[in-house]
Order: sequence, then C-alpha cells, then structure tokens
Amino acid sequence: MNTAVRTSGDLDKLASLGSASLYPEKVKILIGSGTCGLAMGARAVEDAALATVKRFKADATVSRIGCIGFCSQEPLLDIVLPGGPRVSFGSMTAAKARAVLTAYFTKGNFGGEKPLGRFSSEEHVSTGEVHSYGSSPAAEGIPEWSKLDFFRLQKKVIMRNCGSIDPMSIEESIARGAYRGAQKALSSMKPASVLDEITASGLRGRGGAYFPTGQKWRFAHNAKGDVKYVVCNADEGAPGSSMDRSVLEGDPHAIIEGMIIGSYAIGANVGYVYVRSEYPLAITTLEHAIAEAEKLGILGDDIFGSGWNFRLSVRRGAGAYVCGEETGLIESIEGHSGEPRGRPPFPVTAGLWGKPTVVNNVKTWASVAPIITRGSQWYASIGSKTTTGTTIFSLEGSVKNPGLVEVPFGITLRDMIYGMGGGIRGDKACKAVQVGGPSIGCVPPSMLDLAIDSQDVPGKSANMGTGGIIVMDSDSCVVDMTRFLLGFFVDESCGRCTPCREGTKQMYAMFNKICEGKANTETIEQLERLSQAMNAASVCGLGTTASGPVTNALRHFRDDIDMHIAGRKCPAGVCEMKKA
Amino acid sequence: MIAETTKEAVPAKKEPVGAVLVCGGGIAGIQASLDLSAAGFYVYLVEESPTIGGNMARLDKTFPTGDCATCIISPKVVACMRDLNIDVITMAEVVKLEGEAGNFRATVKTRPRFVNMDKCTGCGDCIERCPVRNIPRTVFESKPAEELDKKDEAFLTDIIARQQGDPGALMPVLEATNRVYGYLPRGIVEHAASRLSIPLASALKVASFYDKMRFEPVGRHVIQVCNGTSCHSQHSAALISLLEKKLGVSDGGTDKSGRFTLRTVRCLGLCALSPSMRIDDVSFGKVDPDDIDKILEQFS
Repeated sequence: MNTAVRTSGDLDKLASLGSASLYPEKVKILIGSGTCGLAMGARAVEDAALATVKRFKADATVSRIGCIGFCSQEPLLDIVLPGGPRVSFGSMTAAKARAVLTAYFTKGNFGGEKPLGRFSSEEHVSTGEVHSYGSSPAAEGIPEWSKLDFFRLQKKVIMRNCGSIDPMSIEESIARGAYRGAQKALSSMKPASVLDEITASGLRGRGGAYFPTGQKWRFAHNAKGDVKYVVCNADEGAPGSSMDRSVLEGDPHAIIEGMIIGSYAIGANVGYVYVRSEYPLAITTLEHAIAEAEKLGILGDDIFGSGWNFRLSVRRGAGAYVCGEETGLIESIEGHSGEPRGRPPFPVTAGLWGKPTVVNNVKTWASVAPIITRGSQWYASIGSKTTTGTTIFSLEGSVKNPGLVEVPFGITLRDMIYGMGGGIRGDKACKAVQVGGPSIGCVPPSMLDLAIDSQDVPGKSANMGTGGIIVMDSDSCVVDMTRFLLGFFVDESCGRCTPCREGTKQMYAMFNKICEGKANTETIEQLERLSQAMNAASVCGLGTTASGPVTNALRHFRDDIDMHIAGRKCPAGVCEMKKA
Repeated sequence: MIAETTKEAVPAKKEPVGAVLVCGGGIAGIQASLDLSAAGFYVYLVEESPTIGGNMARLDKTFPTGDCATCIISPKVVACMRDLNIDVITMAEVVKLEGEAGNFRATVKTRPRFVNMDKCTGCGDCIERCPVRNIPRTVFESKPAEELDKKDEAFLTDIIARQQGDPGALMPVLEATNRVYGYLPRGIVEHAASRLSIPLASALKVASFYDKMRFEPVGRHVIQVCNGTSCHSQHSAALISLLEKKLGVSDGGTDKSGRFTLRTVRCLGLCALSPSMRIDDVSFGKVDPDDIDKILEQFS
C-alpha cells in the first residue's frame, strides 16, 4: 500500500493536514457533541450555528468535538476567532447560539452572552508543543480557561485531546501528537526498552486496583506462548462513572495508540476493546477511528514499516456489570456468559482462550503514548510519590459544577468538591461522599482531606478506587444509599458462587429491614459476620468487595444506623419507617 | 410388602407380577424407579442411551431454586445403580408389549455396547482412542424447529459471516440480533446455535445471562431510565415510578399500544446530568419530571 504511514515524515504530512482543519485561518465553531452534550441539545445548537453561518455567508466552519469534562455547562459552543483565542460559551440553546453568532458576525462582539472562558493557547500533551492562538480585541477581559476554578487544579494527560479535536478525524489527532509514541516505539525501541520505560514511569492500572502496569506487561511478555492478546476494558459498568465513555468519544486514538505500543511490548498481534452497549456513540466513534487507522496502515500488517502486525476489534457488552471484572470480560469475549474465573492462573499467563492476555482499563491505555514520547521521567514527575500520573474522576451528585475532572494523584476530595465543584448546591453541609464505584460505599466528610492515592496511609491518603465522586448533601441518607448499592449487587451478582449470590440478597434484605425500622442489634452482628464470609469466600472481586458499602457504613455512619434501629427514625427523612 | 398385600386384596384375578418396567432413565425415570423399589416392586429401567441420567446432568441449575443440577441427580444415579431391586438396562428399547394391566410381557432389545462392562472403569480413554470416530455419541441434536424467513435468513448469514470464524462469535451474533430486533427471536437463536455448532442450551444460557438480551418483543421505542448511583441521588426513583404510572407498565414491560418499552439500566454514563434517560438512541439529561410528556410526544 502506498498510502501507508511509515516514517515520522509521513506523520508530519498528516499532521499538517490536521493542523489546517484544527487551527484554520478562518472562524471555527466547535460544538461539544459527546453524549452529554447531545443529551442537553447539542444538535439543535449545531443546526442553529450552521444556519447562522449560512445566513451571513460567513467564512466559518462548524466542527463537532468530544466532551471537555465541563458537563454542567453542556451544551458548549466555542468560537475560535481567526488569529485570536478560542472563546467558550456554556449552557447553549439554539436561540442563544444564533444570538452569539449573529452578534459576532455583524458587530464583532458576542452580544449579551457572557463567555465562560478563553483559551489563549493549547498544549499538545503528547509532544509538549504549545499552540498559541494569539489575541483578539473581542476576547479582551474574558477569563483564561485554565484559571477557572473547575480547571485550575486539573492536569490533562488522559483527556489530552478530548474537547479539542474532532474525534472522527485521525488527522486532527495526529496534528496533536497522536501515533508519535507508537511510531517511536515500533521503529526505534526494543520491546524490552518499552517495558522499562513503562515500569520506570510508575504507571498503575486505572481500573481501581492500581496494579503496576509495567509489571503486568512484563509478566505477559515473559509468559510462554506464540499467541498473546491485549484487551482494553471499556466496560465501565460501575454506576456513577463516565470518564471512559468520554475518552472513547472524545479521543479514541489515544486508546488505539496505547494498545499498539502495549501489543508490541508484550508480543500480541490481536487486541480487543470491550465496550459496554450503553455507550452507542463511543462504539461508533471507536469503530470509525479503527477503520481510519487501518486505512493509513497504522493498524494491520507491517505497522510503520517495522514488521509489526496488530489487529484491533471492538466487542460490545450487553449489560452485565461483572463483565468489567477482567476474567468475566475474557469469558464474554470468548462468547460465554461473563462468569469470572478462579485465580490463579492469572490472565497474564492464561487469559483469553488460555493465552497470555493483558487487560487494562481505558485510562491506562490512554496514558501510555505520552510516556513514550515525553519519557518516564516526565510522567513520574506528575502525581504523588507512591502513585504517579493522573486519573479522571467524575464529580456528581449535589455538587454545584458536576463534570469530569482529570487530576494528578495526591489531590484531596475537598480540592475537588469545593475547589473544582464549587461546593454543594444550596450551600448545604456535606453528609457523605459515595466514592469509587459501588464497592467502596460512602465515606464521611472527615475523609475529605485525605490525599487520593493507590495506597491507604491512615490519616494521610486513601485508595478511592475509580469512578464517581457522588456528593451527598445533608438531605440524603447514607443507610438508604447503602441499601441502593446493595440492590445493585443483588442485580449484578452473576450467581456462580454461593457467598455472593446469597450473601448480597441477605445483606440487601437486612438493610431493607434497617430502612423500614424493623431491624434490631442482632442485624448488625449478622451483617458483620456475613461481610467477613463474603469477603473471604467469593470467587471474584464483585463478591469480595460487595460488602464494602456495609463495612464503611458500619464504620463511619454507625450513629445513623443506630438511629434507624433504636430510634426507628431516619435523620434525613428519606427512609419510610414501617410498623414493626 | 405391598406386592403381597395386593395379592391378598385381589385374590380372584390372575396373580399380578410384582415388577414394573420404567421407560427412560432421565431424572423422572430414575426417581420413579427409586420410589417403586422403595415401595417393594422389582423395577426394570430401560434407557435408550448408554447411561442413565438424561438431560438433567447437562444442566447448570434448576428452576426456580437455582440448585445445582448435578448435585441433585448424581446421588440418585448412584442409588439407582446400587439398588438390588432395580435392573438397569441401557442401550435398549422396548420393541413389544403384550398382556394386560397387572400382567404385561415386554420384549426389550439391547444394542451392542462394544465395551466389556465387567472391566470398564469409566475412564473414558476409549473415546479418545476410538478407531471408528472420535466423537462421543449424542442422542439429541439441536435442530431448529422452523426455517427462517428470507429477511431473518439474510441477516443471520451476514452477521455470522462478519465474525470470520471467530471462536467467540456467539456473543457478537446474539448482541447484534438483540440490537437490531430489540429482542432475541427464538428462531434466530436456534439457527445461530446450530450454525455455530453450539448446543441451543448453551446459547440460551449466554443470552439469559446478559441483562440487555431479552426474549420478549419490544415496543416501537425503548425507554432506558438510568438507575445508577448518581441518578439515584438525584431522585431517579421518582422519575421511574412516574413513567411506570404514565405507561401503565413496570420495569421491562411494554405499554398496551406497543409504543414504549420501559427499562431501567444501571448507569447510562451521564452521571453529571442526573437524572438521565435515553429513548432509542436519543439521550436526555437533567430530566425534569414535568417535561416527561413533552419528551414522550417526540416519539410516536
């Protein structure tokens, strides 16, 4: 194929094509078109923008971008002024979009609409280059985007291109440094040196267990076998998390590139991305991205002329949380029901079809390429001493500015909730925070000042898992929330092992009793015994951690539980007491 | 004991034989034999296949208790084989039956087994070394009940071809069928299982495992209401019960006019826009229960 990309020169050519559409010499209008934007009416805004451009016969293009994370302000509309900064407007409607654009096209200002902020420059994280937009009188006095409370403490590595590029354009990705890492690794590095680089960076799995990625890859690299696999776990089943969706929708090439590098390092020629079916847009975007990469020879045979072959395909889930567990996911790809396997053997030695398999989370794969292009030292300088790099949290619940925030490790919940999130709606008190997916449960406000890390150090840091930070205000009930989380586990337990299948049901029934005021002190003892049994005897992580919400509720919110039991009263008035 | 009492109770008639013949050595036949033996009858248990046990030994769990099937049947098989009052005749069929109630005469034909039963330990090595064929004998072949119509046929052929012989093809085939049809039509599942050389029971096991895959036809539009943690904290329960009331259905149901199917899902990934829902492929964030009518109106 003569169109195949082989050298960095070929990438340069594509990058200049991408730059031309990314930073055109004319007005560019960007519409936040992730699922979150669409849910708030981004299509109507886009139609209005197109119609206005047509009406004024303006020299302007309209482009769709992924989610930048500021979900509370969706739909977003950005105007990149020619030779000037990029100006963002939030909470758009068709009428507002028409008004802003009409004002700009006729008077050169933005009418009555107040911009959220402006970008004077954007960093291409993969390469470290900075694109400066220049200045324009129309953008005078608009606050810098990076100075906004929501973005001030953020550090973008995983979401480096989300909300800046058209995810359907591989050229725009390449213009921002995509595939430079893969090109470098495949053409000038040995697999062993890729492994060394990843190990040195301190990258850990972002799925929540924080296992060192370099070590995992090395196990698979050393495992015997001519056929090996790499798998991307995009079955983001934990309710309250949407960051993987956002990366898939906003910058699919980040994952593809990470997987190419990983496949080369461990020696796998086939890869799968397992995406949950609740993310139709993510699947479409990813499939398009894979097709584009195949067309350019970035996926397929002899990638970058290195002789390395790698094929990637997408598998859709079908609504099973347990398929986010890596062996459950492997079972599902093999075409079975997603019942997890016992371990050992671990997937790195016997995974997909019994072959060595590396399963990593979306965020982990997306972190790989910049480590190769900018070096492990650069990556290790971000984050905390024990856990390098960044991760994404989803701020939700009763917080003023919900959205996705990418933060370096070592930051505290307080920084996120009160710094970025702007505090709690109605300035109510914080009752609890439901962190890290359903298996951690609720933590008390006293833990807000602990640094978020992969290690638990009493009084200093805590592993907050992955996923959402769901802020609960003083009107919510932790007992009710715990019951809700247990109900989730009852639904999602696959039923393979008894401790989990029966244990989740019994715990749910006990919490139901507590919520209805029918429980007694014996219930607590039973709960404690059952938690221990489930933790010790379940086959997979779902069962061993399903008691997490109960343990945390008993440890941190004992007063509330006692009030339900002894006082037969829900302090927040959420649970309805029934006659004993 | 009972046999003797019977003898006394009906002295006038011809003496009944104190033996019973049971046809079929599945769980029902085994249980019947054990009960009859306990009641004092001598039992001839005739089974067509090489062993007794039937289909139950192939099942994972039994409805409705979810008990392990093998755990139920194994002790019964052992008890049946050990029972001195039960004569198990396998690889056999009843070819003739004469006489009347109380005094039958049955002729049983036994096929050759090619195995010396006195020496067999059940190790299974002979199956691997079988010079005739390497396939264990199966009695039941899953054959689709009906032919597919042209449209379904074209769909299934296309979707299977796309898997290019992937050994894990079942899951994508079922998922695509479920996505396109809204549910899994029985005929397509039967044909898919047969073409992928997967027992129908296995295909159904996979299909019933995944929450998204359903066996009932759906309405013209599918409403998915998010019941994730974030949405729960923003009162999704109220939204769900409002929709249930408006449509007159509960979770998973389809309204009378066949317009909407209502489903709750564990998280649509629109957590910052709670409460959220999706109708077909259109997502809605920060749903105000007062706007529900306006939203539903867009879908006829």
